[in-house]
Amino acid sequence: MSTCGEILSNTNLKNDYFAVEFYAPETAASARAGQFVHVRIDDTRGDWILRRPFSICDTDPARGTVTVVYKVVGKGTAALSRLTPGHRCDVMGPLGNFFAPPDDAVPVAVCGGYGAAATFMLTRNPRKGLLLLGARSEADVILTEKYARAGFEVRVATNDGSEGVRGFVTGLIPPLLAERPHEKFCFCACGPHPMLMALAKLLRELGQEGQLSIDHRMCCGVGSCFACVVKVNDPSGPDGWRYARSCAEGPIFNLKDVYTGE
Amino acid sequence: MADLSVDLGKFQLKNPVMTASGTFGYGFEYNQYYDISRLGAVVVKGIRMTPSHGNPTPRVVEVTGGMLNAIGLQGPGVEKFLHDQHYMPFLRKTGAAVIVNIWGTTVAEYAEVASRLDAERQGITALEINISCPNVKAGGAAFGTDVRLASEVVSAVRKATTLPLITKLSPNVTKISDFARAAEDCGSDAVSLINTLSAMAIDIETRRPVLANKTGGFSGPAVKPVAVKMVYDTAKAVRIPVIGMGGIMNADDAIEFFLAGASAVAVGTANFVDPFTPLKVIEGINAYLDRHNFKSVRDIIGALEA
Repeated sequence: MSTCGEILSNTNLKNDYFAVEFYAPETAASARAGQFVHVRIDDTRGDWILRRPFSICDTDPARGTVTVVYKVVGKGTAALSRLTPGHRCDVMGPLGNFFAPPDDAVPVAVCGGYGAAATFMLTRNPRKGLLLLGARSEADVILTEKYARAGFEVRVATNDGSEGVRGFVTGLIPPLLAERPHEKFCFCACGPHPMLMALAKLLRELGQEGQLSIDHRMCCGVGSCFACVVKVNDPSGPDGWRYARSCAEGPIFNLKDVYTGE
Repeated sequence: MADLSVDLGKFQLKNPVMTASGTFGYGFEYNQYYDISRLGAVVVKGIRMTPSHGNPTPRVVEVTGGMLNAIGLQGPGVEKFLHDQHYMPFLRKTGAAVIVNIWGTTVAEYAEVASRLDAERQGITALEINISCPNVKAGGAAFGTDVRLASEVVSAVRKATTLPLITKLSPNVTKISDFARAAEDCGSDAVSLINTLSAMAIDIETRRPVLANKTGGFSGPAVKPVAVKMVYDTAKAVRIPVIGMGGIMNADDAIEFFLAGASAVAVGTANFVDPFTPLKVIEGINAYLDRHNFKSVRDIIGALEA
């Protein structure tokens, strides 16, 4: 569950997006779509101490490797992007639960930006599905070729219309349902919080099934610190909701549990 | 192999390394990584009478040399803690020494929680009275930064239980040893320190506090020198044992606390960095004692040459 994972490759995909491949055979052997690793990136100056959680994008159990796709957003990810093959990082995982679309449904990944990394292993599903990807602009559209090679149909929406249709990713759903009215879908989502809340409301309106990867600023990664909590419906509680730890009880939450009130 | 057992007055531990409340959940999660009964004691996250949501998110932020948290004591409430299989029933099965951290929003609630735990005390080694959480509006540090209120809480809890009592002190006071003495006078069997330092971080782009609670508690390696000094001051001021914590990342850090006068130590934030830290600290203390030909960890408590 915790190994000193040697970096085998760490390459720039596009702009601030990178893919790092760790040698972590135990993690690679059992990881499923939507699970994450908690990575300790060494710091010698004391600028940070905590681990960084990353969705597992892909694994190669035969080679014992785990691939993480990340965006440089702060000091930790900037440091990670500078690490070279041969460097070792402590990798905990796989952590959290996973996407589990029912066998009779077409899996549809609904993602915002590099949220597409979290759903990639859905392409191993015997039923080939679709990737609906939303991004601010073409500069943030990643992993679409990887999905296409894995047999998923890719549809893109960007805020500025620089790739795919102009608009939000949620706008891609009603046309899909109109095209394929007799199909059963399961929407598996990962992206920014506002996108996920909008998606949850839309899926409920449309009577569709959904599983959403929702988290918050994480700390321990295993359920002990209660930092990364998200609101979930809890009819037994006085307020109708409770805080669930996204690392230990999620990060995947069933649509029926997702709290969208205020 | 040196003798690692320590005597905390009303109770003994097989080794001096415990977990700091709030950094170890209720033990369940870390027991998947190692047998938690190997620890000196497991100190669980704060328990009050009723369930509590805690604070809105973001609840944590990283800062140089550590982190700020404002979890706000989310918890299941004492009845669920005592009876749900993931809490006390689970802990009893592990055989770990369990110290239950308790809090309330009134003096009466503190006493009530202590009384409920006392009534089902099997497997509970001691109670730790939390009068030092900086992140709840009522209770917590409101009691721990006023000597009169701190005394009221400790006295009330003392009357409610015969379990050994540890009072967890706030560093956000002018003179922490005054609070330690007050706790001793009111019947506390030990004191533990430090809780987190009241702190704040600001996002300069949005010009807003990073934490939803605006302020939080600072922990991590940067606070260790502050904690060592407070343990040093406190150990000289009281006769009851002192449990030292604050920024312990490894055995060397822990040994500083023993030399300063702590009879036991707790690992907190380091659990988030490396879940195995408490075990590594136990091993490292043993190696240090062997290297310096000490037969027992008790030989280094307060052994500062000064």
